Amino acid sequence: MTRPGARPTAQPEPRARAQARSRPGSGLLAEIAARRAVDVAADLAGRSLRDLERAAAAAPPPREVASRLAAPGLHLIAEVKRSSPSAGLILAAGDDLVARARAYAAGGATAISVLCEPHWFGGSLDDLRTVRASVSIPVLAKEFVVDPRQLPLLRAAGADAVLLLAALHPSTRLGRLVDAALGLGLEPLVEAHDARELERALGTRARLIGLNNRDLRTLAIDPERAVRLHALVPDDRIVVAESGVREPSTLAGWRALGFDGALVGEALMRAADPRAASAAFVAAGAVPDDPGAADRTPLVKICGVTDAAGVLAALAAGADAIGLNLVPGTPRALALGEAAGLARLARGAAAPGARPLIVAVTADAPKAALAEAIAALDPDVVQLSGTEAPAAVASLGRPAWKVLHLPVETPSDPAALRAAASGTIELGRAYLAAGAERLLLDTAGGPHPGGTGVRASSQLAAAVARELPVILAGGLDPASVADAVRAIPALGVDVASGVEALRHPGGRPTKDPLLVALFAKRARAARFDRPHLAARPTPVDPGLLEADARGRWGLAREFGGRYVPETLVAALEALERAYAEVRHDPRFWAEFRSLLATYSGRPTPIYRADRLADRVLADARAAVAASGDDPDAPGRLPRRLRLYLKREDLAHTGAHKINNALGQALLTRRLGKTRVIAETGAGQHGVATATACALLDLPCVVFMGAEDIERQRPNVLRMHALGAEVRPVSSGSATLKDAVNEAMRDWVTNVGTTHYVLGSAMGPHPYPTIVRDLQRVLGDESAAQLAAVEGRLPDLVLACVGGGSNAIGLLARFIGEPSVRLAVAEAAGDGIPTGRHAAALAGGTPGILHGSRSLMLQDRDGQVLEAHSISAGLDYPGVGPQIAALVTAGRLELAAATDAEAVAAVLEVTRAEGILPALETAHAFAVLPRLLAGTEGSGAPYPDETVVLLGLSGRGDKDLATLERWGTPA
Amino acid sequence: MTSGATARASVTAAETAAVGTAVGTVVGTNGTPGARRIAGAFARAADEGRAALIPYVVAGYPDAETSFRIALAAADAGADLLEVGLPYSDPLADGTTLQRASGVALRAGATFDASIALLERIAAARPGLPLVPMAYANQVIGGGDGAATARRLTAAGASGVIVADLTPDEGAPFESVARAAGLAVVYLVAPTSAPERRTAVAARSGGFLYCVSLVGVTGARASLPRTVGRLVREVRAASPVPVAVGFGVSREAHVRALVRAGAGGVIVASALVDGLGPDGRDVEALGSLVRALRAATAR
Repeated sequence: MTRPGARPTAQPEPRARAQARSRPGSGLLAEIAARRAVDVAADLAGRSLRDLERAAAAAPPPREVASRLAAPGLHLIAEVKRSSPSAGLILAAGDDLVARARAYAAGGATAISVLCEPHWFGGSLDDLRTVRASVSIPVLAKEFVVDPRQLPLLRAAGADAVLLLAALHPSTRLGRLVDAALGLGLEPLVEAHDARELERALGTRARLIGLNNRDLRTLAIDPERAVRLHALVPDDRIVVAESGVREPSTLAGWRALGFDGALVGEALMRAADPRAASAAFVAAGAVPDDPGAADRTPLVKICGVTDAAGVLAALAAGADAIGLNLVPGTPRALALGEAAGLARLARGAAAPGARPLIVAVTADAPKAALAEAIAALDPDVVQLSGTEAPAAVASLGRPAWKVLHLPVETPSDPAALRAAASGTIELGRAYLAAGAERLLLDTAGGPHPGGTGVRASSQLAAAVARELPVILAGGLDPASVADAVRAIPALGVDVASGVEALRHPGGRPTKDPLLVALFAKRARAARFDRPHLAARPTPVDPGLLEADARGRWGLAREFGGRYVPETLVAALEALERAYAEVRHDPRFWAEFRSLLATYSGRPTPIYRADRLADRVLADARAAVAASGDDPDAPGRLPRRLRLYLKREDLAHTGAHKINNALGQALLTRRLGKTRVIAETGAGQHGVATATACALLDLPCVVFMGAEDIERQRPNVLRMHALGAEVRPVSSGSATLKDAVNEAMRDWVTNVGTTHYVLGSAMGPHPYPTIVRDLQRVLGDESAAQLAAVEGRLPDLVLACVGGGSNAIGLLARFIGEPSVRLAVAEAAGDGIPTGRHAAALAGGTPGILHGSRSLMLQDRDGQVLEAHSISAGLDYPGVGPQIAALVTAGRLELAAATDAEAVAAVLEVTRAEGILPALETAHAFAVLPRLLAGTEGSGAPYPDETVVLLGLSGRGDKDLATLERWGTPA
Repeated sequence: MTSGATARASVTAAETAAVGTAVGTVVGTNGTPGARRIAGAFARAADEGRAALIPYVVAGYPDAETSFRIALAAADAGADLLEVGLPYSDPLADGTTLQRASGVALRAGATFDASIALLERIAAARPGLPLVPMAYANQVIGGGDGAATARRLTAAGASGVIVADLTPDEGAPFESVARAAGLAVVYLVAPTSAPERRTAVAARSGGFLYCVSLVGVTGARASLPRTVGRLVREVRAASPVPVAVGFGVSREAHVRALVRAGAGGVIVASALVDGLGPDGRDVEALGSLVRALRAATAR
């Protein structure tokens, strides 16, 4: 075989290739293929296919490729090559191809791709053999296969997988090559670079589909080609992106889009430290550790497991539940002893801490049979798949999951759909009331209870799942599960027939481990990078959860909207369009998450403040006593309080504001705007925006009230240091509201070039949605973090509120959870009765401020009143429309703290816990005893064991001068 | 992998487009008595071979009595219609001149009641002059539908109303109550409004259409954007009602250029407030300025 440089004349000039025409079969690819055909014919002259196959059979057994790629995340296929037509000579003199391959493997690569083509890439079968012998991971033969005899030849040389180019073969021949490769145990990776080639690739039995960004006829790279084609590949194929990778971050984006692998060559070959480079790409493809996303991940139940291999497949896929079918006469029915054995295996073989739930699947079983099954299997859950009445649930003595059946036909009009859904919902509620833990939502009818293999209408299922805790079942498979999980807010998915291998006639169905793995992977990835998708029932009015198309919130859609000068409408519409795209673009959220994680320190922890909790309870007792009640009366006060603080003070720049600033800075780049403006009150949002702009190299102007500039000097200096221009605003009251006015005026004037990074979940549509979405990570993370330590939801979620970005960010996750009470603390300034306050919710009226309708402080003429608060961040006469909607609908309880109470709370928290909270945050601490005592808020009592989640929105260093002026012994 | 097409939430481009359509389907206020009075004033000016001149005065600036005298001076110097600004605490479409005047007026006691009284006095003194108050959405609609405000403005003699931060996207409920009161709701188009949107907004505007000359806030400018002529021609072609151009207009040359471009009317605001001098009391200077501008309206 040829070595690099042996035939230098064979390497054509890059320019000539670039000019090659793009008609199929033309250009460089055709040239290589033709040359390959001639060489292969010469090399294999006189060797029969049979001979070659015998040699292949004698080779060491192939290493499994597909299952490695079907594991969670995106996997690196690292390529070694000596040269390439696009880059010329790649392997430096003295560099060792094999050592490089070993380093890639040591860095965590899942497979090594070895170029075998001699003339253009300097490859050889020898390279393949040596690399295969030096690593323990699978090796992909990167070859131009033009003759079926090449396949056994490659297998004999050790190849575990082989590249087949759809461009080189018509459908029938491609199909035959794929079958031949599979027959040899050689995993074919069928590569396509356009829709027609992809159609041919998908027409074969290939499990691995490669999507190449490079057009091999012209060598031109279109970095979005693979992404576009990916939308055409069903989810039950394993997809590998190829070419055009420069940075590890590209792999992170591909992972978010659902690619399973990435083939990286040149970017790795150019790295001086191949092991470290490989490790960096591998890390970029890994599923990020994100509690917020974990909170959206559905439970995966592998049902109807019939043998030990099935149990092991489910365990390998990390199944959350394994269903063992005990329904006599059904295809997957197990004898009791058999089922008990499988349950034992599942428990014994599971990794510690990853034991799946064992679900005993029954249908209309007599009491005695149920008791026997429970005794034999000791199941974690009993599934009732028949026509059991709600009463049957209560008598089980085990957690019960009840199957509900949905009609297969989708009612066409919304009214009929609602009616169809409401019947199922009513029934489901009856089972829940009887004690059922979960409901499995299956299609109606069919021959076998517990699974008909037909998919229920997703609209209907979504309508039910919005109201009830359901696990989606029936007709799901690896190809369909992600779409279903995205469209339906189910808590989990259940699959039986959708992950089964082809059945031997007369045999019992068995699971295909690859399909089981892919099913679990697709289900879990579906919502991972889509934080706006509902992942659980939210039985509240939709007007409290999402704005309508016109940006309206509330039961009567009475808040929000877009009240702006005409000049801004086009910009807001453009922002709305851009954000609509971004909202559904997993790459945006993956990039955002990565920035938050590596740059601003997310996830922030939750911290259990026990010393403070004791003081809060003591203060609550005092408040009850002061109200004339007996604090020891049963049920009057919680006996124990576990107070968790969401530590946004630990985020970069010292508050939650950085989340919104980074997100909108990324958005600015997408909008193609080149300048950023922002308003700021306390300076936290100004600092956060200036920080994000410094990071992304955007010029930044921050409008700040002249009065605030005086009282928040340190933040002004920080903004200057970050390179931002701080523009003082002396109009009006020279505080936050005037800064917003001035920012809007600037935006009206510079709308063509400028994006306005609004700092709170307020303003004209779509800002309240954008800011809420960017801040909802607070609540999403907290829910998962709390679940990990408490195993449940909090009883109360409490945040301070000014414009409302910290509040809505923390609360959003819990709005649809009926068991969770929500409260906000407003700034009462000198006291609400004095009129000198910033309590727009408690002391305001509906009106239009800064582009949307909400609650606000105003006089009878609609003149905006000045707010008063010691905390510059809450010193604002309005509030975001979603918060106003929640309050008006009675979903959000109100409390307020005066300046003096906030100052006292700062000191109490600091001394009890060593955490100096911002004055803004201190308002939430100040009201907590009164909320628990019922002297503020709804007054309803809290349980004996109360868990409170409090948003510690920011740190208080910036307030030290204010505290000193106030005269505290700070 | 197919995208989660079924999972689209609230913000989609399709829905945005649907809002755009809604702009054109509502009736508007062009049939109201107020709109007819406004149209009459434009028609009279056109008959005289002129564009209509629409001076702007700030109600209650520098005080109630002086602002009444200013209004009469503007009327007598040749106003075809009079725009009366109702001072607002947070005028985010206005530049420094009108922000300052608003603040002065508010501190001098310019409540809504006082502004209504001023409108009544002007209407009584100059009954032939259509009055068009200009305000912000929170003053007119606030937390309600604006019905009471529409009735009071009409009763005080207003023919129409301009709401600086109200577009047809949000204006339908107010149009409906304004229609009932007989009041025209005048909408604005801006250089940033797309051509289809200009047509839709014009179809909804009552009496006339307010064409914003520039991308920015109010305030006298030394020169108008070079593209303003084309803007005026395009907007005029798209509008069933007369087009009056405002924002930045301060000089006779501006007026002449706008008239040449086909403006049916010209609105002058900040320049007149500037013309009143630092204390806002130079009524004579204002009169001469209005007369000069009026002379420039001839075609």
